[in-house]
Amino acid sequence: MYTASKAALATLVLALVAGTTVRAQGVNGSITATASVQSPITVAGAQNLAFGNVFPGVAKTVAYSDATNAGRFDVTGQASTPVTYSFTLPANLTTGGNNLPIGSWTGYVNGANSTSGGAAITPSSTPAGASLSAGGTLYFFVGATVTPPVNLPAGSYTGTVTLTVSY
Amino acid sequence: MRGLRYAFLLTATAVLPLAGQRPLTVTGIQSLTFGALIPGIPTAVSRTDAARSGRFDVGGPHDTQGQVTFTLPSVLTGPAGATLPLTFSGSDAGYSQSQNIGSQIGFDPKQPFLITFSGQGRGSVFLGGTAQPAPTQRAGSYTGTITLNLTAFP
Repeated sequence: MYTASKAALATLVLALVAGTTVRAQGVNGSITATASVQSPITVAGAQNLAFGNVFPGVAKTVAYSDATNAGRFDVTGQASTPVTYSFTLPANLTTGGNNLPIGSWTGYVNGANSTSGGAAITPSSTPAGASLSAGGTLYFFVGATVTPPVNLPAGSYTGTVTLTVSY
Repeated sequence: MRGLRYAFLLTATAVLPLAGQRPLTVTGIQSLTFGALIPGIPTAVSRTDAARSGRFDVGGPHDTQGQVTFTLPSVLTGPAGATLPLTFSGSDAGYSQSQNIGSQIGFDPKQPFLITFSGQGRGSVFLGGTAQPAPTQRAGSYTGTITLNLTAFP
C-alpha cells in the first residue's frame, strides 16, 4: 500500500508537471516592418545670372535660355518624385548703398540640362511643383531684367537668388 | 491500488480542461509600413492607423488570459546592410478584444502584457512605431521582422 501511494504521488507529480508544461506553451507570429528612404535632395548653384556691363538709363535683359549668362540650379533627388520649389529673389542688386533694380523674372524647369522639353516658369516666392526626372535630376534656368537708373553710380552690383526644393 | 487509481483520476482532472479548447494562435495580418521617408525626418506610424499600423490576430480559449511579448527590431535593414533606426514608445502597442482598431487598450510593446481573449476566443494586437532616418540615410528599401509571442496565462 505504501509503495502504491508513492507511485500514485509520483504519477500525480508527473501529471502536474505535464499540465504545467502544456499551460506554458507559447506560439508566435511575425510581420514585417518596411520603409523606403528617398534620396536626399541636393541643390547646387551651377551658373550665376550675369548681366555684364549695363549703362545708366538702359534696361538689360538676360533670357533664361541664354546658355552663357542665365542663372542655373542643378537639383538631384529621388527619381521620378514630385518636389515643391520656391525662390527667394532680390528686388535690387546692390553695391554700397546703391541699388540696381532687378525684376521681370523668367525661368524654365526641366529634368534635363536643356531649355527645351521642359516648362516655362515664373520664379517667385510662391511654392510650385515639379517632378524629378527618371534619373533623379531637375534643372532650373533663371533670367531677369535690370533697370539701371540714369543716375546710377558706376560699380559692381550683386544680389543673391536662392532656390529652395523639398519633397 | 486505490491510491494509484486516485492518482490517475487527478491526472485526468488536471489535463482535461485544456482538451477541446481553442488552441493558442498568432497570425501576422498586416505589416508595419512607414512608406516613403525623407532623410533626417522622423516618421511615426500610429497604432490606430488602419492602413499602416502592424496587426496580429490572436486566438485562444475564450474568456481566458494570455500574455503577449514582442520581439522588436531596433533597426530596419536596407541596401548594402545600411540600417534605419526604429523606436517604439510606451503606448505604441494596443490590444482589442473586439478586433476593432478603434477600441484598443494601449500598452508598452517593450513589456509583457496580459490580454483576455473574447468570448469567441479572439483578439487583435496593433503596433505603431517611429522610423528615424539619419540626414545621410542611404536611399532604398528597408525591412525588419517583428514577432509577437503569445503564452497562455494560468
